[in-house]
Amino acid sequence: MALVLPHFSAYYDPTRQTHKLVQELKRDRELRERFKDDEASVLDRYELLPQERAAIEQRDFKTLYELGVHPYLLGQLSRLIHGTVEGAGSSEASVALVRSLKGEA
Amino acid sequence: MADLVLAVSASHAPGLTGWMDRADDATRRSVEGAYGSIGQQIRDAELDVLVMVANDHLVNYDPDDYPDFAVGTDAVHSGPAEWFKPWLNVDDYRLTGHPEVARTLLDGLSGNGLRVVDRPQMLFDDNISVPTTVTGLANSDMPIVPIMQNCTVPPVPDQHASYAMGQRLGAVIREQLPDGMRVGLFGTGGMSHEPGGERYLEIDEAYDRDFLDLIERHQHDHAAFLEAATYERMEAAGAGGTAELLSWIAVMGAIGEQPVEVLCYAAVPEWRCGVGAVRWNLATA
Repeated sequence: MALVLPHFSAYYDPTRQTHKLVQELKRDRELRERFKDDEASVLDRYELLPQERAAIEQRDFKTLYELGVHPYLLGQLSRLIHGTVEGAGSSEASVALVRSLKGEA
Repeated sequence: MADLVLAVSASHAPGLTGWMDRADDATRRSVEGAYGSIGQQIRDAELDVLVMVANDHLVNYDPDDYPDFAVGTDAVHSGPAEWFKPWLNVDDYRLTGHPEVARTLLDGLSGNGLRVVDRPQMLFDDNISVPTTVTGLANSDMPIVPIMQNCTVPPVPDQHASYAMGQRLGAVIREQLPDGMRVGLFGTGGMSHEPGGERYLEIDEAYDRDFLDLIERHQHDHAAFLEAATYERMEAAGAGGTAELLSWIAVMGAIGEQPVEVLCYAAVPEWRCGVGAVRWNLATA
């Protein structure tokens, strides 16, 4: 089946602040708990573009991809939002991400 | 002059520890048999040190400042990194390091157009946690030096650069480590998968089988192998993930043209990653 999106390197921007958000959430358990309880207050800490922040809030992974977020960190952002426990390899996190990237969500 | 006496490569898909039960019995037996045999060979080889070439999946470094290779120089390593624990279903473990060997490799690999850095307190996700757990190396006294390779953050050192790094690694091992030291190499990564991309739930089995065929067909002609097993083909078979196979290519560079044996291959959709393992039969072993 034809791919919807070009290779991520067509958009990739290493300075995108979503990267910093995901990296810090992975490394800081307290920040993760705050993100779960009060996502907006955590997003306030980062210098996100308005459309970048809106995409995070709307779980619009396709827009984040097109803004240059590395897909590996998109996958982890989806797990941070939808839960990290997999166990079956087709978790809610990965399905939600793929649906968004394909424009189905 | 140290001796390279063992060389293997294998995938490290988190499904191998997290949800192995999603495979059918025959597949599970084949994969468990291959990883079990790798573990046994490592234990039987009377190694003084095992050098693992793995992939950093944006764990130790951030996108805006990414080295090509990082060497773990600590005396003791531990994993998995906290956030990955529920995902991997791997118990906390410790690995014995080898700071002297790690320093020699770090110094020997630096330069040559690649950015190679020292990484104290190296963090491990599936990259090291899965292969050391399924081969029984976790919590053993086998000294391990982890080398993390950038396979996913552009610009990625391609198959030629990875092979050349491997050649340099092999030369440093043979020429700069102590006489009689027995060294093993374990490349881990791949096969096809696309973490976080639109093919996140897919495996490119045709590509994986073609890659294994290329390794076998060109085992005595690595130049031909490198012409065919390109970084671009890997990316086309799963962006940002399949190129973890560059770790296998680094091992090939270190050992040169040696006979290879495919130990297993499995494409289990729920694992979301083609799983393969090979070993090379080294003349000096």
